[in-house]
Amino acid sequence: MYNILQGGVKLISLEKVSNYQSIIFWIALVEFLIILFLLYKLKFKTKINRLSEFESKSLNDSKDTKIDMDSLMSSIHNAKPLYKELTKKCHPDRFINNSKQKIAESIFQEISESERDFEKLTLLKIRAIEELNVTF
Amino acid sequence: MWHKIMVISEWFGEMGERYKLVKDFNRAGKNAYIAGFAPTLLEAKITSGETSNRHAFSKWMGGGFRIKALSGKALSNSELIEVGRVVLDNDALVRKLISLGWDTLEVHDNTGFNGCKWKLMDFSNLGGILK
Repeated sequence: MYNILQGGVKLISLEKVSNYQSIIFWIALVEFLIILFLLYKLKFKTKINRLSEFESKSLNDSKDTKIDMDSLMSSIHNAKPLYKELTKKCHPDRFINNSKQKIAESIFQEISESERDFEKLTLLKIRAIEELNVTF
Repeated sequence: MWHKIMVISEWFGEMGERYKLVKDFNRAGKNAYIAGFAPTLLEAKITSGETSNRHAFSKWMGGGFRIKALSGKALSNSELIEVGRVVLDNDALVRKLISLGWDTLEVHDNTGFNGCKWKLMDFSNLGGILK
């Protein structure tokens, strides 16, 4: 602490304490290091598991598995009418004694398996148009 | 002590994931309704669920995943069942629901008196032989 007197005027009283001398600085530094350590541990936690490359990859992928809710909504509202239409148009009985009968059977089987999956049904519809020449 | 901190952070992460799933569902339902390809507005929320459906990972007072259909009329049983079956046919979603602590799926509308409930464990294909 020192006073500066210049021309009889007291200018200011300054107190200068170095950052490194403050105990708060050291506490903050220790806390910061602890946070860094915890973040490091969180990030590399899964690497402790000794899994094969395939297993660890699939585990990491499962964390990011996102359910496509937009597709789910489409399935809730639109899958049933599309399913009914497809079962009518692609029924194997419509292709008896025809070269496309086997294709129709496989498409129909897939349609039955994915009754409530709008995305799959849409793909099957495209396949039916291309392979069976069905019009919708 | 570090272990406890990890457990707490995991608990918060899981709760966040639960709310994120519900939020995603509601966002998709709202968008579908606004876009016009959905005749009803679907909304999901967390309820206490059915005690008889509980399993080892059920969340306390949070085991029910309720889908409420905001429709102008009372939905028929087949319509309610159809909504539920679409969710139950989605294997990944059912597994995610179970792992995040849900045990019951509920579907009901806002005007009628009917509703449907399913035990999620019956649709999870759990209990197979480990290969």
